[in-house]
Amino acid sequence: MLAYFIRRVLATIPVVLMVALFVFSLLYISPGDPAAIIAGDQASPEDVERIRASLGLDRPFLVRFFEWLWHVMHGDLGTSIFTNLPVSHMIAQRIEPTVSLMTLTLILSLSVAIPMGVIAAWKHGTLIDRLVMMVAVFGYSTPVFVVGYLLAYLFALQLDWLPVQGFTSITEGLVPFLRNLILPAVALGLIYMALLARITRATMLDVLSQDYVRTAKAKGVAQKGILFVHALKNAAVPIVTIVGIGFATLIGGAVVTESVFAIPGLGRLTVDAILRRDYPVIQGVVLLFSFTYVLVNLAVDLLYTVFDPRIRY
Amino acid sequence: MSTSVIDAGGHAVAPTLPDVLPEPKRRGRVMGFIYRHPTIALGGSVLGLMVLIAIFAPFLATVDPTALAPAKRTRPPSDLYWFGTDMLGRDVYSRVIYGSRVSLTVGFSVAALASILGTTLGLVAGFTRWLDAIVMRVMDGLMSIPGILLAIALMALTRASMKNVIIAIAVAEFPRVCRLVRGVVLSLREQPYVEAAIASGTRIPVIIWRHILPNTLAPLMVQATFICASAMIGEATLSFLGAGTPPIIPSWGNIMAEGRALWQVKPYIVFFPAIFLCLTVLAVNMLGDGLRDALDPRLAKRL
Amino acid sequence: MRRRDFLRTTTGAATLLAAPRIGRAADSKVLRFVPQANLANLDPIWTTQYVVRNGSLLIWDTLYGVNSKLEPQPQMVEAHEVTADFKTWTFRLRPGLKFHDNEPVLARDAVASITRWMPRDNSMGVNIKKQLDALEAVDDRTFRFRFKTPYPKLLFALGKSSTPCLFIMPERIAATDPFKQISDYVGSGPMRFNKDEWVPGSGAVFERFAGYQPRAEKASWLAGGKRMNFDRIEWKILPDAATASGALQNGEVDWWETPIPDLVPLLKKTPGVVVDIADPLGNIGSFRINHLHPPFNDVRARRAVQIALNQEDYMRAVVGDDETLWKKLPGFFTPDTPLYTEQGGEPLKGPRKYDMAKQLLAEAGYKNEPIILLVATDVAITKAQGDVSADLLKQIGMNVQYTALDWGTVGQRRASKEPPDKGGWHIFHTWHAGADCISPAPYTALDASGDTAWFGWPKSDAVQAKIAEWYLASDLAAEKKIIGDLNQAAMEDVVYIPTGFFRFYQAWRKNLSGIVDAPFPVFWDVSKT
Repeated sequence: MLAYFIRRVLATIPVVLMVALFVFSLLYISPGDPAAIIAGDQASPEDVERIRASLGLDRPFLVRFFEWLWHVMHGDLGTSIFTNLPVSHMIAQRIEPTVSLMTLTLILSLSVAIPMGVIAAWKHGTLIDRLVMMVAVFGYSTPVFVVGYLLAYLFALQLDWLPVQGFTSITEGLVPFLRNLILPAVALGLIYMALLARITRATMLDVLSQDYVRTAKAKGVAQKGILFVHALKNAAVPIVTIVGIGFATLIGGAVVTESVFAIPGLGRLTVDAILRRDYPVIQGVVLLFSFTYVLVNLAVDLLYTVFDPRIRY
Repeated sequence: MSTSVIDAGGHAVAPTLPDVLPEPKRRGRVMGFIYRHPTIALGGSVLGLMVLIAIFAPFLATVDPTALAPAKRTRPPSDLYWFGTDMLGRDVYSRVIYGSRVSLTVGFSVAALASILGTTLGLVAGFTRWLDAIVMRVMDGLMSIPGILLAIALMALTRASMKNVIIAIAVAEFPRVCRLVRGVVLSLREQPYVEAAIASGTRIPVIIWRHILPNTLAPLMVQATFICASAMIGEATLSFLGAGTPPIIPSWGNIMAEGRALWQVKPYIVFFPAIFLCLTVLAVNMLGDGLRDALDPRLAKRL
Repeated sequence: MRRRDFLRTTTGAATLLAAPRIGRAADSKVLRFVPQANLANLDPIWTTQYVVRNGSLLIWDTLYGVNSKLEPQPQMVEAHEVTADFKTWTFRLRPGLKFHDNEPVLARDAVASITRWMPRDNSMGVNIKKQLDALEAVDDRTFRFRFKTPYPKLLFALGKSSTPCLFIMPERIAATDPFKQISDYVGSGPMRFNKDEWVPGSGAVFERFAGYQPRAEKASWLAGGKRMNFDRIEWKILPDAATASGALQNGEVDWWETPIPDLVPLLKKTPGVVVDIADPLGNIGSFRINHLHPPFNDVRARRAVQIALNQEDYMRAVVGDDETLWKKLPGFFTPDTPLYTEQGGEPLKGPRKYDMAKQLLAEAGYKNEPIILLVATDVAITKAQGDVSADLLKQIGMNVQYTALDWGTVGQRRASKEPPDKGGWHIFHTWHAGADCISPAPYTALDASGDTAWFGWPKSDAVQAKIAEWYLASDLAAEKKIIGDLNQAAMEDVVYIPTGFFRFYQAWRKNLSGIVDAPFPVFWDVSKT
């Protein structure tokens, strides 16, 4: 199995490289000039040219790409065009809020979705089943920012229970951390919850109709025991798959959530960088995303072996 | 004694009972369909309603959706302006009606484009071994960038227009279709009847047409409806982030984006397009669910 | 940067994130402010964004500073001498001025800072450099300008608030090429920049510098004693207006620089929040035309738009229904300032003449070519103006091509002198701070020298002649007459079309006092109970 994983890791390096090349070439041909933004309204065309030259933006594409690649291999992600800060520093500042948000969202969604899916499967075909699934689909159908605004209005402005915006690190206390993150996590979690509830129900139905479950029932094992011990273990594999796939969807929602609740995370950093053409930051973030994607996939595959002993590499 | 009887569809049915009991209720064809597939019926009819609204928009709207009247900006709903007016004095109701055109077009076009692109590449990858590795690496690369960020980056390449939004979202969505089709192709290629077809000299395009495509149709249709729903939400998100369709063409997404700063004081600007978008996406999702349940009962229990 | 540095910065950042924030002593010593935009960098010479200047006002001090009447007053300078022919200026710095690293401020720091600033200031600095014979430090506290030709308006240049301002930096930092960014923010002002707590796009922190010596006089804008009542000022970047509003209502922030006009009624109703006009000098909206290519290279086509343009529509679109916030502007200069004039402004007054506009267009030979209208949809002011323009041009029968872009792309595309169908443009929108339109001196957008003018490249000899005359005017009465004629000439040649005069509000919590209205947020003499 170790050989498998080594092979997997080696195979992903071309992916990452390819992504880097793709993004880099995209940006190179995109209009929009950071030098013009920097130079400002009063600047003359000559000023803009001089700034562009001093940023090295007038050199050919391949030169810039390989120079950047060379630096990356030495651990240097470059410097932001706008802030003059190292890209790695800017990313490091923003990782914690995004990771905190995604983790809390995951925990919340799982704890709501799995019971939902189980109940729906248990009461398969009845009104409860349909209702649960309707609620789940609703979560999937509303834009995140609408939900975000509604939650903020209700819980922050009207009831005054929670703050409207901001992020507090967990190192400053669990309660302040949760107070800031609970609304964004719920807004974002609705999507995940929908997906997870759906898949839980589907796999539970599958498992429940299997022979060995009927045998267990016949033997008299308590119903709850059957569900939670046998069925969930089998459902774990597809659930983990969805968690992995949904990860990318979640980042899309996270970008919006970070905007609405003013959370200083990676999503907003990337969108701002793209809109301003802060190339080094965009490249650095994209590289980070590729690595994360690869890691998440590897982790998912690893988890498979834990949940399903039949799967071996 | 065994009393289970299996019918054509693989369902277990009760054995026929003596005539003592009354006849089972006979439903008409349509009612029967609705009873058996409520999600398809509900989803399909709501979607159909939205399509009709889109088609008949010029008759349903009360004024020109792009007509400015800054003197009458941000008025609440009234007899003249059923959904109120926005920050430039435009009628929200008419904009929402016309907005259905954009949102539905984006949804359907992205679904179609992503399906075509994904199917083509999936077939290529499935059949050509050496291209398979390259194509799959490229798909992996595309999938590793979160969809919305990829779409924003693509929008940044060019000026905002509905066509570009469609292309941007489709590029973000098609890798999954490609994977799906490739998976089907790979699994079918091992089937004896396909191997036999190849051995007997049938040309690849014919094999694709006769054996592969019919089997991809079902999962593809299901996937396409979900892509449609995702694209409609994606358009709204792009507009929210400032990279969506230009405001001169109203879409539910950009009506909401323009009005979002005011939602505390003039909630109707965000509320009405949100309701329409939510209902439509809900309908499409339900349609997808129903199709999946109907087309392959086995699929219903899996993903 | 080497791998070691990479690791060091990441671990450094990580530990900083993990370190508990030191309990803030008495909240009344901390001010939480929401600026108008993101503070992406802090080099006020390198970039001319207003938000950077606003932050820089805390960190660096200036030689002179304009007061609320826009009269330059000495700030870091103790006294000056000027010869009768305005060719030699000698300045002496105040004693005891220090930088944040406790080094004294010397004349050569001033000289280096002025040298870095001159080539980037297109309104006055560039001309100063051209007319300068020598600029040197005479001793540790004295420096001298020697001009080839008279330059009477030097004090205004040294103390003006329009970007780039002449901030005094240490010589080693000011030695940086003006087209490259500085990375060291050691300053001469009342607050220090806390670089470690800076999260670009999210927040910035300023801390009081105990070694700052404010002047004795009362503060007025950039003049007088900058006394700080806060130990710490936190800038929170909240780009989502609804979130910023909620934060102010909830008391999570103390002061919001730019509340959007539609939310102001809600804020006015909120107990605990005060709303007032931000800057009496306001802003002037701009409908900027490309004079190089047809149809607008013909003055008749430009006049067609001018007589059809309805400033009320634009102003309502930009600032909403509150009529105290906007005024029609039949001229180019800021209302309620000494040089304001309406001479020649008839085309923008009275009922709009759509038919005459169509006629003028026909005369100018317009044949329905697409008109490229660049609209930056990510900035509320330009988007609102762009939407109104699209409608206006349609009404006078033009074939509008609404090109939705972001501000950065507009910034790039407007620099192109190519024909509109080859990557150029016909029209774009922007706005100018009223403080920059009080006279021809800071007014780059009014320059009509053709090829070397601002984007749009208007060419009008009449306007240029009047500007030159104004520079040599001897007193206010003479200036007023010249400006009147200048306004008329600019109207006739349609240098650009002002879309109106508008102001914004600012909003703050009731427990803040001392907030004044100015073209930029003034932090000194503000206190919190």
